[in-house]
Amino acid sequence: MAKLDLIDIRKTYPKSDLETLKGINISIEPGEFLILVGPSGCGKSTLMNTIAGLEDISSGEIRINDVDVSGLAPKDRDIAMVFQSYALYPNMTVRENMAFGLKIRKTPTTEIDAEIKRVSELLQIDHLLDRKPSQLSGGQQQRVAMGRALARRPKLYLFDEPLSNLDAKLRVEMRTEVKKLHQRLGTTIVYVTHDQIEAMTLADRIAVMKAGEVQQLGSPYEIYNHPTNMFVAGFMGSPSMNFVPITVLENSDAHACTELTGSDGKAQLLALPDKLKTYVGKKLMLGLRPEHISQQLSHHSETDLISAARFNIEILEPTGPETIAQITINDHAVHCRLAPDLSITAGQDLDLMIDVSKASFFDPDSERNILL
Amino acid sequence: MHSSSTSQGENGLGRWLIYGVLALMALVYLLPLFVMLVTSFKTGTDIRTGSLISLPQEWVTDSWQAAWGTACTGVTCDGIKGYFWNSIKMVVPAVLISTFIGAFNGYVISKWRFKGSDLFFSLMLFGCFLPFQLVLLPMAAMLGKLGLANTTTGLVLVHVIYGVAFTTLFFRNYYINVPDELVKAAKLDGAGFFTIFWAILLPISKPIIMVTIIWQFTSIWNDFLFGVVYSGADSQPITVALNNLVNTSTGVKAYNVDMAAAIIAALPTLFVYFVAGKYFVRGLTAGSVKG
Repeated sequence: MAKLDLIDIRKTYPKSDLETLKGINISIEPGEFLILVGPSGCGKSTLMNTIAGLEDISSGEIRINDVDVSGLAPKDRDIAMVFQSYALYPNMTVRENMAFGLKIRKTPTTEIDAEIKRVSELLQIDHLLDRKPSQLSGGQQQRVAMGRALARRPKLYLFDEPLSNLDAKLRVEMRTEVKKLHQRLGTTIVYVTHDQIEAMTLADRIAVMKAGEVQQLGSPYEIYNHPTNMFVAGFMGSPSMNFVPITVLENSDAHACTELTGSDGKAQLLALPDKLKTYVGKKLMLGLRPEHISQQLSHHSETDLISAARFNIEILEPTGPETIAQITINDHAVHCRLAPDLSITAGQDLDLMIDVSKASFFDPDSERNILL
Repeated sequence: MHSSSTSQGENGLGRWLIYGVLALMALVYLLPLFVMLVTSFKTGTDIRTGSLISLPQEWVTDSWQAAWGTACTGVTCDGIKGYFWNSIKMVVPAVLISTFIGAFNGYVISKWRFKGSDLFFSLMLFGCFLPFQLVLLPMAAMLGKLGLANTTTGLVLVHVIYGVAFTTLFFRNYYINVPDELVKAAKLDGAGFFTIFWAILLPISKPIIMVTIIWQFTSIWNDFLFGVVYSGADSQPITVALNNLVNTSTGVKAYNVDMAAAIIAALPTLFVYFVAGKYFVRGLTAGSVKG
């Protein structure tokens, strides 16, 4: 178990004017599960490769247990990595694949055998030890790839989109396996993915990246409920957060509020947190997750920040456990989460409840969350 | 095939047409071999009296023995057996060395890219298009300076240098399809430059090694120009001897001996094709299949 500190990591590829990594600062505690998430091209895989030592950094420091390793070769960093393509050695059996790193490090044979026994039982691949990778299914190859990483007991584990080559059902199963494994072994893990569900379910902390910069670093709860900017807010969650341009007003009781205009052109008042009173008269971007707009719920009494409003339901998309409905607010399409057994048809008007207590508010120009 | 999906009658006719054309082509292709074979088993009189494609009146192996042991190649009359071994002594090291260097070059160019590695590869590729004649003189001068003129070692060197362009190309194109992640994984496992080559890449290179060996063996064994220019009297390869044998005129032309000698000269390449041929097509198409 090790602590990892990334200090102002910068990386510019030769022949490129753009910085791929623009000063990354992340501290990872021993035993922490950190997930790097972001759209493709955001630099998350590059960052992973620099931690592993497969790519050089232009400046900055990579510290493992307070020792700067940025000048060390990959083999001297004591890191194991699980790759998206698994990268199992095709000419070797499962056993040889797992033993390879140990043999190179001149581990005694008895120790190697014991280690392979431990890891293969842990991952339930002990019956596959004498097979070649080509004789294994995708899920089994995935397990062997993890086994190879575990066998060396390195200080740090790196996972580079390890589940993205599996089919949907297996991916969910393996996700749980990875989580169980981490809980059991308490290892320090850095995990790259572009799948936000994986990020939410597995991580102790998530680093959301975009264009070579960390947009937000925080627990899944913080990332989901208190996104620092519109990019993070829009990236995490599915369907993604709705953004509605609003103008902050003040009602007769001197409370902050705003007007929402539906597709019929009628304006309805929406109460806003009083923290926004300093923004009266200004334009803001209201960020509302689909689950914050629902049908009328009897047990939700109408408190200050839960407003009722009537909107025309334009499209209904039943998914089974819920139904996603599309309405229009202030000329923007907005998705809301409705109960699946609601008897309505598209085109009808419906009384909805909007819970603003969990909404985020962004500056339309800087796209930053103004309440953080 | 088109006809297989159409009606029965057309199917039959089209099929026969295809078989007919194929058989005709095979016949055209095999006829010279047939003529060579039957001629080599004929006696001299048989050749003069019979027709080209008629079977021998009496099957004799005299000409095979003559070609191997007693036929005259220039001034000596010891057959082609000595030259056959000359060729073996030349072709085995030349093929193995050029294949190994090609594998190593391909590994470096595809997996350890360095500044200018693409340019290096382009220049290597250029070597494939250099005609033999272009390098004759400079190579002769070089062999002379190295003291390797007229030796088998010199011939091996020439074939290795000339062959490395092709073998590098083969291996580079094979390794470029091997995922880089495999090399990254090995690096993290602690494997160094040579360990990755020996333990990871070479063991999965069997198809391309076979392709390279067939290619190199065929072209080096069949080479005449380098052989005639750079070899000495006692290091001449079999292609040169065959030429001398056919061109040595002592009265009547012994076509049966010529044919037997030519077949002997072609046997090793045929042998290599039979042994490793199944890998040839497999290896050439290996890049298109995800490994």
